[in-house]
Amino acid sequence: MRGLLLAVLMASTLSCGGPGDDDLTVFAASSLTDVLPDLAEAFQEQTGTTITTVFGGSNHLAAQLNDGAAADVFLTADVRLLEQVTTVNRSVSFASNRLVVAVPEGNPAGVSSLADLSRPDLRVVVCDEAVPCGASTSEMGVTIEADSREISVRAVLSRLAMGEADVGVVYATDVTAEPGVEPAWNQLESCPCVTYTAGARTYWALPFLTFLASPPAQEILAGHGFSTRTPG
Amino acid sequence: MRAPRPVLAVAAIAIAYVALPVLGLLQRMPWSSMGDLLARESITRPLLLSLLVSGIAALVVVILGTPLAWTLARVEIPGRRIIRALVLLPMVLPPVVGGTALLFALGRRGLVGQWLDRWFGLTLPFTTAGAVVAAVFVALPFYVIAVEGALESGSDELEQMAGTLGAEPMRVLRRITLPRLLPAMGAGMALAWARALGEFGATITFAGNLPGRTQTLPLATFLALESDTEEALALSLVMLIVSLAVLIPMRDRWLPGRRPER
Repeated sequence: MRGLLLAVLMASTLSCGGPGDDDLTVFAASSLTDVLPDLAEAFQEQTGTTITTVFGGSNHLAAQLNDGAAADVFLTADVRLLEQVTTVNRSVSFASNRLVVAVPEGNPAGVSSLADLSRPDLRVVVCDEAVPCGASTSEMGVTIEADSREISVRAVLSRLAMGEADVGVVYATDVTAEPGVEPAWNQLESCPCVTYTAGARTYWALPFLTFLASPPAQEILAGHGFSTRTPG
Repeated sequence: MRAPRPVLAVAAIAIAYVALPVLGLLQRMPWSSMGDLLARESITRPLLLSLLVSGIAALVVVILGTPLAWTLARVEIPGRRIIRALVLLPMVLPPVVGGTALLFALGRRGLVGQWLDRWFGLTLPFTTAGAVVAAVFVALPFYVIAVEGALESGSDELEQMAGTLGAEPMRVLRRITLPRLLPAMGAGMALAWARALGEFGATITFAGNLPGRTQTLPLATFLALESDTEEALALSLVMLIVSLAVLIPMRDRWLPGRRPER
């Protein structure tokens, strides 16, 4: 019995990866859901390393990492979370994103300004303040009469795409990713903005961090609507 | 009968399996600040809402489920096996899928929901009624399975006899079937209520999350885990106490094959 336990423990330790192990596990904020597969593919072409991705709310992922989940890289929009879980002292900011007021395709409720977020007759859906997109949303400086506070920005997006919500606040890149959702109006200069930072938790994750800041990766990010790093 | 040792040993493992996580939860409880925590509105509101939603859901389940269980057990309807499987489906279906299915059916653009919206201005998502709908969806099978099981295992001799003596079917149901069914109904209701109280996935998918309107205890706990661990633990304690307070008396009185303990 004890021998069996030991074997299981050893196997699970070994599968956590080591130098020469051609696989990286990346925990990523859910707003990176669409872009990360493209980045992973390019990285694999370049280096031969395959990437396993796990998406979720940043806080939730951080809690899992603190509870011992094995991941080599953590990509999050909340630097404070990164500090809690980074075991290797190396991180890099690789892209930024901004919040936009979004509506279902065709804007059926005729949303035209920030003030519409406080209209009680509209069905307004935003992120809960417990998750990063919600914390940023509350920094928009407008009273929001929410009908629902969702647990992730993707949940807000899905409410809009399904037409259950009249208006919501999501990231600019989410609007790019979902054809059933559009910005309520032209919001090129909108903020608050968030910066995505990658934190390495193992040494063999460092090449991926370097890759994220490289021109090919930055090009992919820009293609998905992210604001990329200013060169230099 | 003397209990065989191996059986006792495995039973002990099973008890530990359930008890250990509860112990783990209890030893992390912030007992010193518990008083303040429990008085917070962020805990009392979801508690009251959860009691309301699960209570109404349990009633709806009894009202809908009793005729359904009786029909499944006593009436030769075509496709009974398929109907039974369909009724039990929410037990197996991931609740998030159930919630999405409810959206497609009762949401603002849903199969039936679009007409509810257009004709009556009635929309269920993002309302307390929506949270009840989600809870009933997942809890109904637990009640039906308990009551139908009791109907099928009990003999219908008395009912037959009453029928031969000229009693109307409705009267037979009221005077003979229902009174004998009460223990099973109680047990089924307890199970359904417990399922409704713990419901998370279908609720957050279908009804959304808003404090005081749709944010039940499980939703509040999940969100507190993201931001305030102490509060999450206090919420878990509340769920634990409420669940045990209802399940312990019910277990003794109503669960099948059990006499009340003296």
